Amino acid sequence: MQALHDMDVSTSQAITTICPFCGVGCGMTLQVQQSGAGTRLSGIAPQLNHPISRGQLCAKGWSTPFAIDAADRIKTPLRRTPGGFQPISWAEALKSIGESIRTILEEDGPQALGVISSARATNEDNYAAQKFARAVLRTNNVDHCARICHSPTVAGLKQTLGSGAMTNSASDIEQTDLIVVFGADPTENHSILGGHILRAREQGTRLIVVDPRKTRLARIADLHLQLRPGSNIALVNALLAEIFANNWQADQFLDARCEGLDALRKSVARTDADAGAEVTGVAPELVRSAAREYSQAKKAMILYGMGVTQYVSGTNNVIALSNLALACGQIGRPGTGVNPLRGQNNVQGACDMGCLPNVYPGYQAVAEEEIRNKFARAWQVSVAEHAGLTSLGMTLATLEDKFRGLILFGEDPVVTDPDQTRERRALDKLDLLVVAELTMTETAKQADFVLPAASFAEKDGTFTNCERRVQRVRKALPPPGEARADWQWLGDIARELGSDALDWESAEEIFDELAALTPIYSGMTYAGLDREHGLQWPCNKEAPQGTAILHSDRFPIGRARLIPVHHVEIDEPADDEFPLVLTTNRLHFHYGCGSMSRKSPLLERETPDGILFINSFDAHNLSLSQHSPVKVSSRRGFIETRAIISDEVPAGLVTMPYHFREAPSNRLTNNAMDPVTKMPELKACAVRVEPLPADAQPRTMDEILADEAREVAGD
Amino acid sequence: MTDYLIDSPITLAKHIGQSRDLWQLKENDSGERGWQLSAPEIFSALRSPDAMESAKQFFFAPRENIFQFDGNQFRESLPAPEPFALVGVSSCDLTAIAYQDHFFRDDPHYQARRQQALLVGYECLSPCAKGFCPSVDAGPGAREGSADLVLHQLQEDQWLLRVLTDTGARALEGLVLEKAGDAAQTQRHNQIEACIEAFPDDSHIHAGIEAINSNSVAQETWDAAGIQCLSCSGCTTLCPTCSCYGTSDHTTGDTMIRERFWDSCLYDGFQREASQNNPAGAAGDRVRRFWYHKFSREFFQASDNPGPADRYGCVGCGRCEVTCPGVIGVHSMMKKITE
Amino acid sequence: MQSLVPEPIEILSGVEDGEAARHFRFRFCGQSDSNLKKWQSTRPGQFFMLSVPGAGEAPFTFTTLPNAQGEFSALVRRMGQVTGALFERKPGYTLGARGPFGHGWPVTDGDTEKVLTEKALIVGGGCGLAPLVSLVEHLINSGTPPVALVYGARTAAAQVLNPERKRWQSQLPLFDIVQQGNGCQYRGTPLDLLPEVLNQVGEPERVFLCGPEIMMHTVAEFFVQRGLPASAIWMSIERRMHCATGTCGHCYLEHQYVCKDGPTYRWDKLAPLLARSSGAGALADFHC
Repeated sequence: MQALHDMDVSTSQAITTICPFCGVGCGMTLQVQQSGAGTRLSGIAPQLNHPISRGQLCAKGWSTPFAIDAADRIKTPLRRTPGGFQPISWAEALKSIGESIRTILEEDGPQALGVISSARATNEDNYAAQKFARAVLRTNNVDHCARICHSPTVAGLKQTLGSGAMTNSASDIEQTDLIVVFGADPTENHSILGGHILRAREQGTRLIVVDPRKTRLARIADLHLQLRPGSNIALVNALLAEIFANNWQADQFLDARCEGLDALRKSVARTDADAGAEVTGVAPELVRSAAREYSQAKKAMILYGMGVTQYVSGTNNVIALSNLALACGQIGRPGTGVNPLRGQNNVQGACDMGCLPNVYPGYQAVAEEEIRNKFARAWQVSVAEHAGLTSLGMTLATLEDKFRGLILFGEDPVVTDPDQTRERRALDKLDLLVVAELTMTETAKQADFVLPAASFAEKDGTFTNCERRVQRVRKALPPPGEARADWQWLGDIARELGSDALDWESAEEIFDELAALTPIYSGMTYAGLDREHGLQWPCNKEAPQGTAILHSDRFPIGRARLIPVHHVEIDEPADDEFPLVLTTNRLHFHYGCGSMSRKSPLLERETPDGILFINSFDAHNLSLSQHSPVKVSSRRGFIETRAIISDEVPAGLVTMPYHFREAPSNRLTNNAMDPVTKMPELKACAVRVEPLPADAQPRTMDEILADEAREVAGD
Repeated sequence: MTDYLIDSPITLAKHIGQSRDLWQLKENDSGERGWQLSAPEIFSALRSPDAMESAKQFFFAPRENIFQFDGNQFRESLPAPEPFALVGVSSCDLTAIAYQDHFFRDDPHYQARRQQALLVGYECLSPCAKGFCPSVDAGPGAREGSADLVLHQLQEDQWLLRVLTDTGARALEGLVLEKAGDAAQTQRHNQIEACIEAFPDDSHIHAGIEAINSNSVAQETWDAAGIQCLSCSGCTTLCPTCSCYGTSDHTTGDTMIRERFWDSCLYDGFQREASQNNPAGAAGDRVRRFWYHKFSREFFQASDNPGPADRYGCVGCGRCEVTCPGVIGVHSMMKKITE
Repeated sequence: MQSLVPEPIEILSGVEDGEAARHFRFRFCGQSDSNLKKWQSTRPGQFFMLSVPGAGEAPFTFTTLPNAQGEFSALVRRMGQVTGALFERKPGYTLGARGPFGHGWPVTDGDTEKVLTEKALIVGGGCGLAPLVSLVEHLINSGTPPVALVYGARTAAAQVLNPERKRWQSQLPLFDIVQQGNGCQYRGTPLDLLPEVLNQVGEPERVFLCGPEIMMHTVAEFFVQRGLPASAIWMSIERRMHCATGTCGHCYLEHQYVCKDGPTYRWDKLAPLLARSSGAGALADFHC
């Protein structure tokens, strides 16, 4: 990128598109120039008239030009050889991948193959991925990283409300009287939404933050309920108990629109703020205040994040929040609702597109014969009858020799998934691992074939943000080298396997196909999305302009369900051997595995010198000073880093961001799972922190692995 | 110098366009405004502070290569652009360019681009959404010497074309124009006065400037703002006078390139040293320094200061107010300071 | 114009000198005479920007100033990206240098160019001794050696510039002190040792400091308390820098740029600037 006119520019263009980072879906304009030397990105600006971001971007958004810089990109297909990765032609790559898939199909059938799609890719790419799995491979083995962020949301809210997405919209933050931020850190992770909360707070909106950490928002909140990790249900049940005890519930709403009240009342009658405090550690008077404020506010909205979902109790945590909102009638109106903050730019879309092993696009269940027939007819193929494997299911099946080939794009499970050692072992064991990526990632390093993928700036398509807004992503640049959009190379492999199921000419053609098969998208076209700055689903004949607020008049399941849920201990509490609880968090400056954000020298500079955040009390007990080198161990492994002493974390709790391959927190995290969704408990595990010698340089994960390999070889 | 009357900016653009690439503000299909290479036949009449991006990117590049190194020799990568013209720069952004002209007077990359540019100003007749240029001596009338030529609309089909520099006069050679009389100058004067009158109350800006200069802002105010500063870099990126940059090296094959890129003093790492010592480790201190550098007279009047021109570092465009997610842009912050 | 393009230099040698610290000798490659002249005008306390291609650029002080052959030295402690890469480079390797930059120590009267002959006391901490080396040498060569050099380090092993200090033993009174461990006559910080030093050598007329900022501040205040005017106390501070020409902004100190207005400051000028930036020196440790 250079100044606007450094070269002999023949034309210039400003392409308005959507930021590729988080689920807020801010608008940005990419400035591109054409000259004799080609097309290049010369600048980036926030979209002033975007309905949510209105001229704002976060640090990650501003750094986008570094993230997609051609200098670091994979530009040709690569084949793994004993001497390292070798560039090969697309034709060679497709032929070899096709042969390998055919062999596995012949020997073990479709259940030995699967696809992991990407919450970073477009709806069109994701639709193509699940269609490739279902119509070409004939398996429902398709999943993506929603498994480890909001699968409990989809499962929980689907049961209680009938729809597993944000019930309201970002703009509701400006209309509400009370915001409850529950297990989320929006100023860091959904910064522009976080900014809306800051603005609302300044204008007098009340703010309650529920978080074990003293987050930025907790510092300015009216109430901070600093609960112990994993005590969400105990806290919500205590809130409900106080609400019922004081008759603060919304009787009319409960009568008219909900079922299951008696059971819920009975279930929470056993607790109250005082009893809850023993589990949650939150002072009873704070709980009573919060119960009164939330139930008595005219309009109160809950925004929640992974501090709710990433537990063995994840689905029940979501149900608990739903119970709370329903009991107080804080749903279905402007400024209310149960609002999951989705992590990735298109995790909502990847779910909507059916990149989940049990549902087709639009959450149409694989279990229903009628639905299977609908897709079999539309795609003119026979489809698998049973739900497929989740991503963790694929890992386990691989270790049991039941799964052999995986096609994966735009994800880095080695860094982002729990229990890295097991993940690496499973990927190693695969007969075929195809990874499409922008740049080399830890997962791609284990692939048999690495395919060059086009970035968001190099393809057309759509992203669906966390408020269900489907927005246009527009091609601004040609992909570098031979990189291709995911739907394009998936189509190439399909053709290699003799299928024309993915023979599309354009992204728009895919969108028209998926809209026709996805009832919640059925009223959408590219022209409509352009006109309206995106449309929120459901968008159909009844709601041609889309739907800003779900459940206004009725729930998709008729009456909403109140479902009693009970506190579940975290799977691995602290003990003598591992006396601290580790939770994971995210930093404003980084994103996911860091494969995009860490390309910016500015964001990389913001990486702290160490990434273990520890309270001064615990640090003192361990004789740690600021930046002391430490070893952090759990039952699954250890990492080395430096300690950052911070009173953001309470005593007894330590936190680590998970973006950094050098010290991957997922070497430590627990793989115990939510029984409903297989969501691993990433938010709590027991660890031990030990000081390393004061002058020691913490080893990176690669160095530790190399040292271990040497030790093994030495034996 | 002589001022002229001209029927339309397009007449001027067609003339200038014979020898220079023309850039002006345009609106794209999504309604977003920005600088685009443009045909002379259109004049979009957009005020530059209504676009998110200022004109600074034309001279101080968002990213650029400084040199290449082949293992033995360092080779400077100086830009060599063709002559070009920016048509329709509002007074605030012109003032900012003048400010940076002074700041980067010895920067070869900046000057290589700047010397190829012709600046055609466009004076606003009404206040823009967040602007307060009169309060910081940056508009709405273009400041002397800040542009080569300045357009000021008098009638539907009559514009006053002011010539502020020799470069501007040379750019008009070959164009036959009627000289402007006193009536045109008076009308311009009155229109600018009327525009100034139309600006909303911005006493908070004046009070904020005085508070910063008398060092009377409570540390708690800065610390509270520090909590709300997300270090997104939006203010410093869009600010037309912000000039901080970082550098980093990339190696491809045998060639190493040093790149420089816009940096932001609001980042924690901006001053952090390799030893982890950080003279500005507190977010509130960084916010304070940012506003100090915009509004402190001490900063721009320091006699041996190599930096700013003799004026405030803020030109009153209001872009930071729009782009700040933390509600600490210029209006919000000055109100917090003076509340 | 102020170019950001370095001039090529080569590593002549690198000698281990203290914990993770190495004393490097460099030489300009193929410089014109006029350019060499510019470098030979370097004054004690000025600095240069050292480029390690591929790793970046950072400011370093001269321990010996460029000579007629274009050779000069710098002490470097392995600390971050640039120094980490430098330590991997072997003699003969080409690096880059820009400079000389900044205001050096006031070794001559600004008006008359006459060598100042006041009784100078020098206090260094850790690698902060590096910018003082050329000053000490200059004062010795001018026939007015410092009345004493007080040098503090974390441990004996962390002491740097060992050959230089050994050489100075016969030329001026040296007082070494370490915070931890043995191997040194005194234990503590330079501040602890100063009363004893002053007992032996008397009150100085001028004090030169370099080391962790917190150490410099406390030592400066110590002398102010004893009646030395703040204007007779000088110190060299360090900041992150990317240009050294007053444009990149990284070295801002209120309205000043350390690269141009510093790095040497008179305490009466510096103290008010630091007082306003509350975070200063909070995390400072002995470092180069």
